[in-house]
Amino acid sequence: MSFGAELLHLVTVLFAAVFTENILLARFLGMCSFLSVSRQIKTAVGLGLAVVFVMTFTVALDWVAFRYILLPFNLYYLRFLVFIVIIAAFVQFVEMVVERYSPVLYQNLGIFLPLITVNCAILGASLFMVIRDYSFAEGIAFGLGSGLGWMLAIVAMAGIREKLANAKIPEGLQGPGITLIIAGFMALAFIGFTGVLSSERKQTEPKPVTQEIRQVDQDTTRIVVEEPVE
Amino acid sequence: MAQQKSAGQIVKDGLWLDNPVFTQVLGICSALAVTNLVLNTMVMSAALVFTTALSGFTVSLLRNITPRRVRMMVQTLIIAFYVILFDRVLAAYWPDMSRSLGPYVGLIITNCIIMGRAEAFAGSNPPFKSMLDGFFSGLGYSFVLLAVSVVRELLGMGSILGIPVPFLSSPGFDRWIIMVMPPGAFFTLAVMVWMFRSIKKRGEQKAGGGK
Amino acid sequence: MSIKDKVWYPILFMFGASVVFVSILVVFGAFTQSRVDDNKKIAFERAALEASPATLPERMGTSQIHEMYVKVVADSTAETAGALRYMIGDSVAAYLLPVEGQGFWAPVKGVIGIAADKSTITGISFYQQEETPGLGGEIVKKPFRSQFEDKVLAVEGPAIEMRAVSAELDASSVHAVTGATQTSTRVGRFMNDQLIQWQKRMGVR
Repeated sequence: MSFGAELLHLVTVLFAAVFTENILLARFLGMCSFLSVSRQIKTAVGLGLAVVFVMTFTVALDWVAFRYILLPFNLYYLRFLVFIVIIAAFVQFVEMVVERYSPVLYQNLGIFLPLITVNCAILGASLFMVIRDYSFAEGIAFGLGSGLGWMLAIVAMAGIREKLANAKIPEGLQGPGITLIIAGFMALAFIGFTGVLSSERKQTEPKPVTQEIRQVDQDTTRIVVEEPVE
Repeated sequence: MAQQKSAGQIVKDGLWLDNPVFTQVLGICSALAVTNLVLNTMVMSAALVFTTALSGFTVSLLRNITPRRVRMMVQTLIIAFYVILFDRVLAAYWPDMSRSLGPYVGLIITNCIIMGRAEAFAGSNPPFKSMLDGFFSGLGYSFVLLAVSVVRELLGMGSILGIPVPFLSSPGFDRWIIMVMPPGAFFTLAVMVWMFRSIKKRGEQKAGGGK
Repeated sequence: MSIKDKVWYPILFMFGASVVFVSILVVFGAFTQSRVDDNKKIAFERAALEASPATLPERMGTSQIHEMYVKVVADSTAETAGALRYMIGDSVAAYLLPVEGQGFWAPVKGVIGIAADKSTITGISFYQQEETPGLGGEIVKKPFRSQFEDKVLAVEGPAIEMRAVSAELDASSVHAVTGATQTSTRVGRFMNDQLIQWQKRMGVR
């Protein structure tokens, strides 16, 4: 693959992670903090940024650990343990650095860092990276995209919930109930992105296709219009 | 946690009164994704109950010699230990299931419920009580997920455990594909949380105030 | 001052706990390793047999699968262009072509069985996929797979075409999986790529 095609492929992975395979809305990861820290946009942005940062770096670190330690020694079944240790150590490290050099940033972001170790989205991103057999660059694009996707979802949710504060909601539905319903609608909306990406991917992945196969594509894309997609 | 809870109270709290999913909607991350098939949910629930019960037991066993500063790390280690054990057993003896659950078994490690039970209960209670507590918290959580998965599989695929249900699988019934997709999980769970909270509220009012 | 108050105690404790737990896991891991490896091999062998014309008993143990596989399947040769050979006696009764490519979420791997005439499909089976259960995951289910049996590989155009569920079928087309457009498109694409390549190398196209 040429450099340009490679770059386009990475952009596709990134966009797929943000929109069509949104780690929160399509894969349900990171729900705990999503439900509890989505009351205000300001805090949501703070937590979101922390997630983007940590996720990008931990996916990269985990990739290295997996490729150069776990695979050569045939210990891939210890990946859960190794990944969570790397994540915890990284978060601890970042917390220390931020506290030391930027008290302002620490005040704004620091409180979220402990929350992140137990955020399943972080571990989840690394596990998906392993299952999908991503290269290092793809892994980083995926980590960044997943983080951005998560942030997008929680900030959007916080925006909606701020507006919702004055709405009249049945007593039993207040809090998590209504948040889940909104999340459902958001997930539904995000499914709409699937079609966008599939047409894009056809241009970006010039497979050695023959004339005939392009015809298959056309035939099957017709289904996109007719039926809901994955 | 001032007074020691009785065994009966632990069961009741875990299953209903303090059900982690209904009261705080915690810990659904690792399992909601597999609730579109009842069988997957059952295996996932088994993994969860296994982990909460045994990690509670182990954390409690080590509680007097665990230094406070590394408490969380030790708990994570113990939880990860049981999860890896379960994952490995699946990979060795039930490869199909292991494949279809994908990364979600591993994600039990970050499930807030397990961590929460270890921290809140097992850290200050004797081993067998902690195991009981873990077992029933896990069970309480499982039964909510199972309920969600039954609704999703019934409406989404017209079957239960892969066995077609007479009316819902007939051609005259349009399968609700949305139920198989992610939004279905959100909606189903939301309705269940709503139902639970309303019922509980009513119960409390009848009892005259409650907590 | 008890031992618990020493500065190094937490570190020592953490280290000791990690060593104990990890070594149990490593021992258990080593103990089950051969089984896990076998499972991977068996998964492929089962798929190969399912794609072949052989009729399989309803329930098959892993050892039965392996025995049968060893008995009837032979490795590929230069003449079969990467396809395994399904043997009856000394002659090739079918070709078993392993195919793989990217599905919706992750790689999908499978085997396509093609009769000795190099055009009739005897079966198809997938042994690795991470598609959404109930949607893309349906590609491993009987209703989808059995459509392929006795279909004829076209020598012009796509070898085997996946059509919308409402479309009419002919001898070389099957219905896609309802609701799983992405999976169907991608699986269809790589299957065709590799089938056509095989046909060309076998000299039928």
